[in-house]
Amino acid sequence: MLKQTVALILLAFLPAIGEAIYYRHKVSWQSPVPPSETVTVDLARSWGDNAIWVDARPDNEFERDHVPGAIRLNEDRWNELLGPFLATWSPEKKIVVYCSTQSCNLAIEVARRLRNEAQIKDVFVLQGGWEEWLKKK
Amino acid sequence: MEKAGLSCTIVLVKTTIIAFTLSILLCVGARAGLTWEQTQIELHPAVGDKEAVGHFKYKNTGDRPVRIKSVRTSCGCTAAQSQKEAIAPGDTGEVTATFKIGDRTGTQVKGVTVETDDRVHSNIALVLKTVIAQPLEIQPVLVYWQTGEEPKAKSISVKAAKDFPVKEINITPVNQNFETKITKMGNGEFKIDIQPRDTARPIAAVFTLQADASPKKFTVGARVANLAPSKATAVQQ
Repeated sequence: MLKQTVALILLAFLPAIGEAIYYRHKVSWQSPVPPSETVTVDLARSWGDNAIWVDARPDNEFERDHVPGAIRLNEDRWNELLGPFLATWSPEKKIVVYCSTQSCNLAIEVARRLRNEAQIKDVFVLQGGWEEWLKKK
Repeated sequence: MEKAGLSCTIVLVKTTIIAFTLSILLCVGARAGLTWEQTQIELHPAVGDKEAVGHFKYKNTGDRPVRIKSVRTSCGCTAAQSQKEAIAPGDTGEVTATFKIGDRTGTQVKGVTVETDDRVHSNIALVLKTVIAQPLEIQPVLVYWQTGEEPKAKSISVKAAKDFPVKEINITPVNQNFETKITKMGNGEFKIDIQPRDTARPIAAVFTLQADASPKKFTVGARVANLAPSKATAVQQ
């Protein structure tokens, strides 16, 4: 009986291994973020005035509510919103980008563009996003 | 020794029969459900398109009706809906996913999850991949100097996309604190030199960049900044 069970488990693994090899290049829509590029709410808050909070959510969500003092910068209107952001930016300040858990790739994308296109260092994605900030309000 | 070998063979035969029966049963179960023409679509919208739409076509190849319970997307920038809520056996339909391009660039991969009442495949993951051509590639979009730094010109490189012929680019407005100069490099490439008149105090400027062939506007910034926090920065546009 034990042998049969083991043999069945091994047999069940065969198609799984095959599928894993076949779909190894299948794209994922969840961009992984290295831990060094994220920040917790507590740490970001401890930066005080040395941090610029960037809201990457769509306009309607920003208008409903946002982190006090946060600058709106989303990819829907990137070129229009980049100007006000660049006017506020200062090299010694850390950038904290957030979005909601429903749309959290948005913050990752905005952070990536700030790093790559504007070559700004010290850009962090807020862990847990807007919801986590609300919890710790 | 012979007995052990025989027993082993019997175990193997039994196992094979059980596994074969199980796989047949699973295949029969899998018949009830939606068959998708494709679960991954790649779109290449033209420069200036506001949205990209993917059509995921399905057919109910099972012998029972399938009800679509929900259609969810991985991003607020993508909306998706099913043409039908209940799909009878043999019936066809599609899930339409609309991706809002906005000012996004590069390859955007968004997921659509379709939840059905099908017991075998209750959740189907669809992938909408959109490759957005960037008419102008600008690198970097920000140049800055520290106060007291030598006010040397810094360059921004502008490169037009292959299928986006650009003869001229313009940078506006004229700013009293920064001088700008555009140099044509050929092959749709340009160099913009930005130079502050002086770096004695913090100053900032935001410029708009536009190619002759497109109404799309791009933003670049220039700044002289203190290393210490300063709120007294004058922004001029």
